[in-house]
Amino acid sequence: MELSLRNVSHAYGETQVLDDISLRVPAGQISCIVGPSGCGKSTLLRLIGGLERPTEGEILQLGNPPAGCLNPLTYVFQDFALLPWRTAEGNVRLVLEEHRLTYSEVKEITYDVLGRTSLLEFRDVLPKNLSGGMKQRVAIARALAVKPAVMLMDEPLSALDAQTRELLMEDLVRLWLRTPFTSVYVTHNLAEAVRLGHRVVVLSRRPGRIRETVDISLPLDQRDRGNPMLADIENHLWDIMRDEAAEADQELVHGG
Amino acid sequence: MADDLSAPKTTMPKTRMQVSEARPVRFRGGGFRPARRRWLGPLVFVVLIALAEWGTRSGWIGNLTLPRPSDVASTLWEMALSGRLWLHLAPSLTRLFVGATLGVSAGIAVGLLIGLFTYARAALVPLVAALFPIPKIALLPLFVIWFGIDEMSKYALIAFGTFTPTVVATYGAVDNVDRTLIRMGQSFGLSWHSIVRKIVLPGAMPGILSGLRISLAIAVILLVAAEMLGAEYGIGAFILEAGSLYDLERLFAGVTILSLLGVTISFALGLVEAKLLNWRS
Amino acid sequence: MTRMNRRHALSLIGAAATLPALGRPALAGTKINVGALHFTSHAASFVAFERGYFSDEGLDVEFKFFQAAQPMAVAVASGDADFGVTAISGGLVSLAEKGAAKVIGGALSEEPGIDGQKILASNAAYDNGLTSPAGLDGKSFGITQAGSSFHYMGSKIGMAEGVKPKFKPLQKVGAIIGALKSGQIDAWSIVPHIAKGLAGAGKVKIIGNVSDYIPNYQVTTVFTSANIVSGDRGKAEAFLRAFSRGADDYNAALVDKTAGDDAAMAMVELIHKYVYADKPLEKAEKSIRNGAMRINKGAALNMASVRDQLNWFKSEGLVKDSITEETLVDPSFVEIVN
Repeated sequence: MELSLRNVSHAYGETQVLDDISLRVPAGQISCIVGPSGCGKSTLLRLIGGLERPTEGEILQLGNPPAGCLNPLTYVFQDFALLPWRTAEGNVRLVLEEHRLTYSEVKEITYDVLGRTSLLEFRDVLPKNLSGGMKQRVAIARALAVKPAVMLMDEPLSALDAQTRELLMEDLVRLWLRTPFTSVYVTHNLAEAVRLGHRVVVLSRRPGRIRETVDISLPLDQRDRGNPMLADIENHLWDIMRDEAAEADQELVHGG
Repeated sequence: MADDLSAPKTTMPKTRMQVSEARPVRFRGGGFRPARRRWLGPLVFVVLIALAEWGTRSGWIGNLTLPRPSDVASTLWEMALSGRLWLHLAPSLTRLFVGATLGVSAGIAVGLLIGLFTYARAALVPLVAALFPIPKIALLPLFVIWFGIDEMSKYALIAFGTFTPTVVATYGAVDNVDRTLIRMGQSFGLSWHSIVRKIVLPGAMPGILSGLRISLAIAVILLVAAEMLGAEYGIGAFILEAGSLYDLERLFAGVTILSLLGVTISFALGLVEAKLLNWRS
Repeated sequence: MTRMNRRHALSLIGAAATLPALGRPALAGTKINVGALHFTSHAASFVAFERGYFSDEGLDVEFKFFQAAQPMAVAVASGDADFGVTAISGGLVSLAEKGAAKVIGGALSEEPGIDGQKILASNAAYDNGLTSPAGLDGKSFGITQAGSSFHYMGSKIGMAEGVKPKFKPLQKVGAIIGALKSGQIDAWSIVPHIAKGLAGAGKVKIIGNVSDYIPNYQVTTVFTSANIVSGDRGKAEAFLRAFSRGADDYNAALVDKTAGDDAAMAMVELIHKYVYADKPLEKAEKSIRNGAMRINKGAALNMASVRDQLNWFKSEGLVKDSITEETLVDPSFVEIVN
């Protein structure tokens, strides 16, 4: 399943947040959206996921979600959004309880996704006792459990420290290599974008417009840390963003 | 002189600070973090009771001022032995349980409505704010007309008294439930019902439980008021009777029972919290 | 030493004051507080005050009004009131036991031939067959508090009829009246001026007389603090003398009706200042006249009735068994009748 955005604009009252965004999210690829803070990247993700309605334009699903998909558009949140009163396993089960699945199906899916995120031995642990990285792995496992057509990832690694971020990036790459998934991945971190993105969409400062779309053909499994090609792309992206970011920094904060 | 020219000194950075001036950095942290001293609470009780015992025995506290603690204790003991304790405790506990159950469950329900629905909030919050400060005791005669002089009016008084604080605590707690968790639920396609049951309610539980502490303390206070009208038996009726008979031993025995009741409820709530809220860091 | 002397002197003066011929007050300008309820049963104090009998004794009286009998006993014990006139309650007995209060005289009495306290039934209970006190078994009977005079009356009536009413403590007379009118309780007993007022308005039914069950009931007594009894006898004696004169006037005007119509009307007007003051005189007059009950001459005390009440308190477990008549009563002030 693919997603297609056609001339999407969005405003909060008087404040224009997104301006005329047209974008295709191809199946089986990770599309990264980068931009200076306040450029409306998270808003764009909420529009894609149907949590908000765009003021103009339309967002289309092309094709049908894969068989067995329980929740086509599935989020992974920056702050994990785990229920603190449920264990790792309970948090995964939460999103399965909603569907008509047998006990053994639920158990099978839960064990599968917890296994894929290396969390099986922590399945009975409450979030308060999990590290930040493990919490986000639970959130990813939860997202995988509903077999999404598109994973909408909203700065999933931003709440983590640098080392953990590295480890999780490797995990995400491994997950994708095992079963390629479609994802819109919002981040302000260019290193993440070039490590994970098949294409990187650069937004301008508010109101967000598409400044440039960069396709990265290098396969994910070859993108090691310190790869010179990636460094070049990252520098290129930074050149585009630099002035936008500097100007965005000078702006006074308005509501949204 | 030769010492002055020795190598180490010249390589040291120039500093006017003399060795003799070195002193430890003054500590200015600490405090503002109450530590646990389990023994101190009971100790205060013991000291006060011992003081009262000694004062009444030696005579500088008159028998009109305070009863002798040991007499209060023996009064309690006799009550327990003769079964009168249970005679008074049973109806009070029933009133407390029925009244508080009615008031708390209605309060949680209305609090959830206010927390979840815009119209319920707009319509009910002013009403609750108007009802909250009414001394429920003042309404007792009215309740007697509405619900009769027997148990129903007592249930109603306690229920009404626990209702408003529970409402306020509940909708405050619902307001404080992490919105991102609700958005998460929506993003996974959870039904409205599931979101309320699995996210809003457990998320509001800490606030509801701490509201319950206040509500149940109010219930104990109102118990005495409820038993002012037409109660033959009950701890409140027992205290009022002792007061009117100027029987200080029984008065204090009754007050002690109420106080123990409060401590027990608080302790039980603590256990419930430890069980239900073990997820809190 | 000085206190001893003063007390001694006072008691001498007090003793001297009992001589009828002595023309001048022995305790000029002594301020005292007298506890009272807005009931006709307190008429003797009101008369003594209005007609200057207290001033004649050198007592500068200020009334302190209460809603119920028991708080008055506490006020006397705490020294906020010097004298109280009210029913013997469990509270009064307990305070006497603690050495804080003592009964020194009698006031209101039930007397054969005089209309006394009435037993009332709510209209609803009456319609359901509660037409005589014999039907009180299992019926709710209003009382202010356990150990109040209402409790005593209800209990004695029940014993005499061999039935067991259920007592409902409602704290205040007003609350009992409300509950009786609305049928929340079935029965009550109260002084005639209230009983007749309610029955006359059709709100309740009178189903009996207290005097049929408790003849010669010493309804109210005069009491004071133990300090006054032991250290200030003169004050108590002066109070009782003035109180007796008030009682004599009242009995002559409204109970025995020997003083003539003018005196009776004057008495009604005097009492109206304190009882039913919020109603016009014409309306209050009937209640005040109807409510007239004997106030004992010379504040004499019916010891037999007091004994019976004390024994009842003990049998109900409301007061300690160890309390004796001597603890409760100092019989040295007034005539004791049986």
